[in-house]
Order: sequence, then C-alpha cells, then structure tokens
Amino acid sequence: MKLSLSWIKDFVSIPEDADLKKLAYDLTMSTVEVEDVEYLARRFDNMVVGVIEAIEPHPNADKLRVCRVDIGGDVKTIVCGGINLREGMRVAVSCPGAIVRWHGQGEPVEIKNSKLRGVESYGMICASDEIGLGDLFPASQEGEIVDLSEFDVPAGTPLAKALDMDDVLLEIDNKSMTNRPDLWGHYGIAREIAALYNLPLKEIKPYEPEERGDFHVEIADPDRCSRYIGVEMSGVMVKESPYQMRNRIWKAGMRPINALVDITNYVMLATGNPTHAFDADNITDHIVVRHAAEGEKLVLLNDKEISLCSDDLVITDSEGPVALAGVMGGAKDSILPDTKRVILEVANFEATGIRRTALRYDTRTEASSRYEKAVDPERCDQALALSMQYFHELYPELKVTGYCDQYVKKLERAQIDVSLTWLAKRLGKDLTNEEIQNKLELLGFDVAIDGDNMHVTAPTWRSTGDISIKDDVMEEVARMYGYDNFEATSFTTAFEGAINQRDQDLIRSIKEYLAIRCGMQEVYTYPWMNDVFVNAVLQDTAGVLRLSMPPAPDLSYIRSSLLPNLCEAVVKNERYFNDFSIFEEAQVFFDRNYTSPYDETESLPEQRRHIGAAFASSVKDITQLFREAKGVLEYMPRYTHMEAFTFRKEEKPVWADNVVWMNIFLGEEKIGDMGLVAKKVSMDCGIKNLSVMLFEIDATRLKPLRSRTNKFTHLAEYPETDYDISMLFDSDAAWADIYEVIMGQKKASALVKEAAFVDEYRGKQIPDGKKSVTIRLTIGSGEKTLTSQEIENTANQVMKKLGKKLGAELRTQ
Amino acid sequence: MKDKINGILSEVQEKISAAASESELQSVKSAYIGKQGSLTQLMKEMPKLDPALRPEMGKLLNQAKSQVTELIDAKRMELKLKASEVSPDFDCTVPGILPPKGGLHPITQMCYDLNDAFRSMGFEIFQEDEITSELYAFDKLNFPPNHPARESMDTYWLEGHDSGSTNEKLCLRPHLTGGSVRYMQTHKPPYRFVYPGRVYRNETTDAHHERAFFQYEALIVDKDITFTSGKVMIKSILNKVFGTDVPVRMRSGFFPFVEPGFEIDMQCQVCGGKGCSVCKHVGWIEVMPGGSPHPNVLRAAGLDPDEYTGFYVNIGLDRLVMMRYGVDDVRLFHSADLRFLKQFR
Repeated sequence: MKLSLSWIKDFVSIPEDADLKKLAYDLTMSTVEVEDVEYLARRFDNMVVGVIEAIEPHPNADKLRVCRVDIGGDVKTIVCGGINLREGMRVAVSCPGAIVRWHGQGEPVEIKNSKLRGVESYGMICASDEIGLGDLFPASQEGEIVDLSEFDVPAGTPLAKALDMDDVLLEIDNKSMTNRPDLWGHYGIAREIAALYNLPLKEIKPYEPEERGDFHVEIADPDRCSRYIGVEMSGVMVKESPYQMRNRIWKAGMRPINALVDITNYVMLATGNPTHAFDADNITDHIVVRHAAEGEKLVLLNDKEISLCSDDLVITDSEGPVALAGVMGGAKDSILPDTKRVILEVANFEATGIRRTALRYDTRTEASSRYEKAVDPERCDQALALSMQYFHELYPELKVTGYCDQYVKKLERAQIDVSLTWLAKRLGKDLTNEEIQNKLELLGFDVAIDGDNMHVTAPTWRSTGDISIKDDVMEEVARMYGYDNFEATSFTTAFEGAINQRDQDLIRSIKEYLAIRCGMQEVYTYPWMNDVFVNAVLQDTAGVLRLSMPPAPDLSYIRSSLLPNLCEAVVKNERYFNDFSIFEEAQVFFDRNYTSPYDETESLPEQRRHIGAAFASSVKDITQLFREAKGVLEYMPRYTHMEAFTFRKEEKPVWADNVVWMNIFLGEEKIGDMGLVAKKVSMDCGIKNLSVMLFEIDATRLKPLRSRTNKFTHLAEYPETDYDISMLFDSDAAWADIYEVIMGQKKASALVKEAAFVDEYRGKQIPDGKKSVTIRLTIGSGEKTLTSQEIENTANQVMKKLGKKLGAELRTQ
Repeated sequence: MKDKINGILSEVQEKISAAASESELQSVKSAYIGKQGSLTQLMKEMPKLDPALRPEMGKLLNQAKSQVTELIDAKRMELKLKASEVSPDFDCTVPGILPPKGGLHPITQMCYDLNDAFRSMGFEIFQEDEITSELYAFDKLNFPPNHPARESMDTYWLEGHDSGSTNEKLCLRPHLTGGSVRYMQTHKPPYRFVYPGRVYRNETTDAHHERAFFQYEALIVDKDITFTSGKVMIKSILNKVFGTDVPVRMRSGFFPFVEPGFEIDMQCQVCGGKGCSVCKHVGWIEVMPGGSPHPNVLRAAGLDPDEYTGFYVNIGLDRLVMMRYGVDDVRLFHSADLRFLKQFR
C-alpha cells in the first residue's frame, strides 16, 4: 500500500521538521513494515514548467517543430514532435540531467543537450508517459504533449512544485498488516502515528442528514451485512475531479476516472472503508441486501457475466442483483456519462463471505481486499462524512433526496481482563500501572485497574477480531514500549533430555561417514519423481502415493524409493563427470499402514527414512565399482556404531543386473538392496556411458549401539606372520565359502588368526572354468614364536582342507 | 716431535672444519690417520726416539690420533644432520594427494552447525514425518478455516486424500510447526527442542522461490519465560552461523500461531548495516519469524496457556545459506548438480 505523507498530515499534525527516516523506522518496529520512503520530487529533478513563445518549422524534418521556450529567465530552443503544440502553452520541460523514458517505454535515460536533425535542442518537451504521469494526465492520442496550462504558475517553476509532487510516499508491506484492518487507509496510519508520538489526531465530524425522504434499505442477513447507509442525491454529473483529488488518487497507486468515481475511491483510500456510487436512475424501487438465488445472473462492471450461488451476498433492486456486495459493482447501474442522480453506498460486509465470493469469481478488488480483513462498522460514519463533504464541495447544486442508515448489528467493543502480575511476568519487565494505562489509552483503549486486574476495552476499530485475548493486550503494551527496549534475558529451565539421541546421532554419523570418510557427495532431490525414472527404475507404481496438483503433469508420484531421483541426478551429472558417487538421505512414502500415534481420528501413511547412493563411473570396471560400493556398506556399521548387517541373495531388485546384486539384512530382516543397474534400466533412464551401482537402505530399521562396543584384545605376545597362498578354484566358487572353510566353526587350524582376500585372477595360465584366488593368512600362536616349519605346516593344513572341501588345487606355474 | 704433533693437529682441525662432504672428510682421515697418514708415519718413527722420551711421545701421539678421530666423527654427524635424504632438486611445489573427495550438502552443514549450537544449550533434536493431515498443518495452529494458505495454491495435497474433514485431508507439510504440536502432545513440559526439516509449498519457482525448502524451528516452553528470552536464542543461532555477534532487532509481525508475533531482522552482513543492494538500502535483513506460541496452539498441545508460555523461531535455512555463501539462486539446492555442491566441501 502506498501512502502520501501530505495526505496523512490532513489527519495528524506531524511536525514539519520530523525525521522521516525515524518515522519509517518506528512504524516498522512497532506497527507495519515500511518498505520504502520515497521523496517523490526526485522523480522530477531538472524538470520545469516552460511556456512556448514561438513555434517554427524544422528545416530538415516535416514532423518536428523548433520551439522557443521560456524556462524562467532564459528562453531555449527545443526541438519537439508533439502534435498539440501551440504558442502560449505551458509544458513540462526536461532539462539536461532529467531522467525520462522515451515514449514511456524501455529503460530510463538521462536527458542531454543534443542536435536533432541538425538543430541544437535544449532538453525535451515531454508527453505525460515520458515522465511517469501517464495515469494522471492520460494522453488522448499518440504524440500528445502534456498540456499544463491549467496550472497558473510562472515559467521556470520546478515541475514537482507546480504539480504538487513535493511529497513523500511511504510504501507499506501489505503482508505486515493483514491482521490490522484499521490501518488500511491514510486515516488509520495517521491514528497509529498519533498514538506512537502522542500527537493530536483530527476528528472527522459525523454527517447529519438534511433530508431522509422515503428512501429505504433492507438487510436480509445481519451476519453478512451489519450496516448499510444509502444516500440518494441529485444535481451531480460526470466531470473531471479537482487536481488535488486526482493527484492523491494517483499517488496512492490508483487511476483517476471521473469526479463521481474518484470521490468513492478517494474516501476509501482516506478511511479504508470502501464506498460505491450507483446511477440512481437505474435503480428500481428500494435497495435490498440479500443472498443471491442459485443460478441468478449478474453482469459485472468489467462486463463479465457470472452465475451466482446462495453463498454470495448481492445488492439488489426490485428487478434483481445490481452489484456483488463488497466486491464489484454491476454494469447496469454503474456511473454512466449522462448520470444525473446517484445513490451512495457506505456499508459494512462480513470478511470471510467477501473473501469466498471474490475468490469464487476471481475478482479480488481494492474493495474486497479491504473488506476481507474485517473492517469495523463504525468506520462507515467517517467514510460517509468525508464523502458528503466532497460531494457538496464538487457539486454546490447537489440535493440529498433520500437517506437511510440500517445499522442492524452493532459492533461490541472487545472486553478483556488482564492480570497485572501475569503481564509483568510475560513482559519480563516491571512497568508502572500508569505507563501501561497510558500506552493503551494512546491506542484508543479504555482501561480500568482494580487491584491486580486490569479491565481493557478495545476501541471499535480494533474489535473485529484483532484484539480478543489478553496476549493481544500484552503485545500492544510491548510494542508501544518498543521491542528494542527489552533486554535479552536467558532462560533458566532445567532439563535432562538431549544427552542421548542415538537415532539422530546415527543418521548424522552415517551421512558424515559417507561424505567425509567415503568421499561421496550428498545431494538433495525433490520428493516427487519424474515418470521416466519411475517407469525405468520402479517399473510398478502400486502403493506409490501421488499429488493431486503436482508441479508438472509428469511429476505426480512422490517417492517410495530414493533410487529414481538418484538415477536422474546421475544423468544430469554425466555431462560433466565420468567418475562420481552421490548419496541422499530423505523420507519415502507408502500408500499403506495408515495410522497416527497423535490423534485417533488422524491416519497417516507409512513414512520411512531411507539412505540411497549411486556410484557411477565409466573408468572403473564393474568388479571395482561393486567392491567399492560394498566396502562402503560393509564398513558402515563399525564406523557408525550400529548393529552389523549381512548380505544374501534372496530377491533380485527389479532394476538390478541379473548377477550383480545383493539384499542387505539386519538379522533376519531385509533392510535394503544393492546392485548394478541393469543395462535396460540404464538405457531407459538415458544414462549413456556410465556403469551405475546403487544401494538403498531403510535407516528407520537400523539399530544404533548403546555405546561403543569394540572389545580390547591383548597385544600379541609372540610375532604373527602373513603368509600368502594362491590356489585354483572352480570359477564359481564363492569367497564367502572359502572364508568359511578357513575361519568358520571348524577352523582349519587354531594357529590361523585371520584370512584375507587379496585378489582373484582368470585368464592366461589358468585353465578354463577355473580361477586363481590369492589368500593372505595371518598365522601365529599365543604361546610361543612359531618356527618357519610350523608356519609352513599350518598353511599346508589350510590348503589341504580347501582341497578336500572345495576341490581347490595348488597353483603350479 | 712435540711441535710436529701440535702442528699436525692444528692443520687437521682446520681441514676438518673446512670439509663440506663425507668424501672430503674421508680424504682428511686417510691423510692423517690412514696407513700412509702423517700421524701414522710419526708413530712409525717412535722406535728411533730416545727411549726416555718414548712413553710421553707415545701418549701424545695416541691422544692426537683419538682427538682426530673424535673430530672427524663429530664433523661427520654435523654433516649428516645438515644433509637431506633426497637430491636438492626435489620439487616441493607439486600438489598434494587429496583425501577422498566428498561432502555434505551445504544446507545439511548449516543444519548440523545449528544442531551443535543448540545441543550445547541443552536442546533436543526432533524429527517428524513429512506427510501430515490438515488437522496438524492448520487447525491446531490457529489458522482460521478460510485462511488462504489452506487452498491448493499453497499446499501440495495428496491424490485421494484431498477432500473431506481436516483430519482426513493429507498434504506434504507446508511448515514444521504442526510437528511441534505433535512433540508437545507426546512429551511432558518443559520443552526445549529444535526441529529441522524440509517443507513444501505449491509456488511458482524463480531464483528466490522454491517448492521445497528447509526450515529450522526452535521452541522453548516453560512456566516463567518472557518473550525476551527469544533474543538469546536468535543471537546464538546467528553467532553460530556467521561466527560473530550479529546485531538483531525484533519488530512487530503477525502469524496466526503466535501472539505476540515478531519479524526478526539481522544487521546486513554485506554492508555492516550501512545499506547496500543486498539489504535494499535499509541495513537490515529479515531472517525469521518468531513469537510466543498462541494460547490456542498451546491448548491444542494439551497445555494450559495460563500456566505455560514459550518462544519459538523458525529459520529459513536456504536463505541463511544463500547469505553465508552469496548463492544467488535457491533452485541450485535441489539441483543435485555436483558442480555446485562440490564448492561446499
């Protein structure tokens, strides 16, 4: 909302030397956010009123004229293409240094002395839209220069002064005052400033009707329309409103139209109470405010025909609806060029109903956006008084022929009891009763203190829901005192919690393990998945939840797995990287097991926290990639202090290669999968050259250890020796089985402390159907230093057992 | 003879101290105490000496010999300590071999920084599910039935769960505060917890608007808390994020679930409060809303608002991270673009 400071000053006497920066700051700190303070005159720097003394043709251009212009003590030559130039005309001259927009379009440019087709020109004679005044002085056709002859000022007068632009505009963030309907107008802000600085506020004297006639208004639903004042007048006509009115309407960001419409807009901008004028000759009989009948038709002011429903409130005459109450007038009875008599409407409508109707027909207007904040009905008095003052001023011949004020539901002022002890506790500060009372009274509250109880009566303009509980009163005292004036106090509450939060710690240490220990990059993706990746990776959408209004038609599924989005991330990064690993930790959702531990009437779908990862490379072979991914998983439980998991092949994930995959188990419970993305899936995703290994685990099922469980083992007293053996196995022999033979329950030898996989090899010198596996045995005894013979014997024992159990043969070169 | 010995000794001392390498030292050694060395030669002349002088001279010679040996050993050690294991042309400007390259998302980093700060003040960390009912998204937070945020313009409703009564309508959570009510319902006061998480709004996106973004909520509830306690919380957060004491101001603001409500501004860290394009020339930047939980919200959580009150702040982590690093497009956070994410290791 834009406010003119000079308009505010109509209602409150702000000292001339007031620091406007401080005013804006104080308003921001205690009431509403002032986003900008604009010195309007600066827009018109280096612009003056000029008087054209002579006009001559341009020697080199038919459409241009060479004007001699008096700009105050100096007559300059200015080349101009205006079509309405005449001698003696007062014009707006932009001198060098002024900022204008050529033909009202494009970027602002600075005026400089220049030559136009060979003739020196000092500055420019402007059209209204070139100096940002297109709405205030609308041009009737292109090329028209703004004619300022109505302003009786000498040549050389600064344009800002001549046009009453020596003003300050305050721009207020509308969001910051949605809860303060009383502030939506110059009067409301003036009242707030008066309270903040204890300045006198001008009262608007109520209007006393001189004639009531037999004019009548009827209200069918007092809950939706608590008050309706109608004033029937004759002796009016459509004409231009006085400059000051147009000027202020323009400053507030609206467009002047004609005097009859301008009065209603001006009064709304001044008081915050919308008003409306009907052409009285088009209203048949009396005005009735009622609910619309289902399907009833109304053509609005913007020529849109709408079909009403019974929740809509309409203004009607005996022939049917004439306006959508509080939202927009109808086409039939709007102000027309030949309007002679009007009915002025000053009314109050209920907020939520107005909002519903405005949204229903997508017609939010200046009026509806004010009514939907809940305006108080007492404000009608001010709006009426101001309206009538301007009607009389603009139309001295005017006669009031009818008047009716239906105030069917009086507004009750809000009454609140506040304990002073409670208030002091909440404020964290001891204010005297006088201080509290004074602050509240400045805001228009009535205060009565009796012992510890303070009885507060809110003013009417704060009683439409804004002030309703004692916390609201506390806020009023605090903001008037100034939030900056409260020192920060630390809190003293004692707690036991927060020492052990193992679930939180586990997720964090897994993420830190993956990122910092394993060198993977964490990514975030959206909860919705692209259909392409859903089809490629998940393949089946049963049990996957969807959004009813997704960000895009192909993004409707929300994730039941992190893998589709991780594959999409792989595709996005393939252009720039050929070897990378990423992971994501996020929530996944399933259309099943609806329940809620918080409220028995609520039922929420199953939601889990997953950790997914992708290892993508076009430079590593698949074995290496697989072992990297598996290594990350194998070491994770030890590093992050949780129960270890195991790998088994039970059920192939749909996206995985036929051979390279494993299921991940915690005890007997399956908690995830890992594997290579199958070629077909990879192609469907649009992955070009990368091999991609994925894993996904359900972090909700992981079990953090209560504390570190590593056991201390005594340092070996006697040396242990590493001893490598290479043996030929059948090509499909599994390392897990080899390890079991060496280290399992029936150990090959008590002297073998550990067996480690070194590598495996197929190819040259190895017979078909076989592979060579190199195993590193750690051999030692707790009782003595072994001789080399004893070590060799132990290794032989192991090899013999591998031969017997798995058919392994010693590799002979 | 005596003079000869002394002459040789001073000669040797000079040569040893001048020796710059092991090989030079070797040649000094062989020149004096080697087989043909001058001291060795003198030793050979002993039999020719007067027998009465022999014991003294013999002693002198032996002393001189061991003195030379000592000097050479000392010099050898000195040379060793001065020398390098590699040749002098070793290039120390070659780059190092980096540890594994990986990193947490910059928002996760910010979140963990804040967790650490709050844990040190005894706050618990709370997490809740992202799908919620309208009951908890709006009703329990004192949102009037016709509040615009309830409409689909702002909230992502789930298909098949987008109509009916508010406990039946399900959506991706539009904010975290509903989850805070869940916490309060299931725990005994007093409370002191933080609640990080992602929230969703159905909005048109641009460089400053996202559909998914991160919030960080902090709440204390107890019997004797004034709203000024909130200032401590806010200052702690900003101090942790920016590493210095950042001036903050609280000004009047309105949100349905708090009373009183505040907008909390911090001094612009780009210009130090003087005014610049980042802060639109006001010197302050809006960072978070806050306030005391509205009595209706406390009631929804099963508390008596006459007994309990509290303070709450809700920080947009995306905005804070953008400010910390100068990121100019919020959409980068969910882009999974490694060129962007690699910058925050």
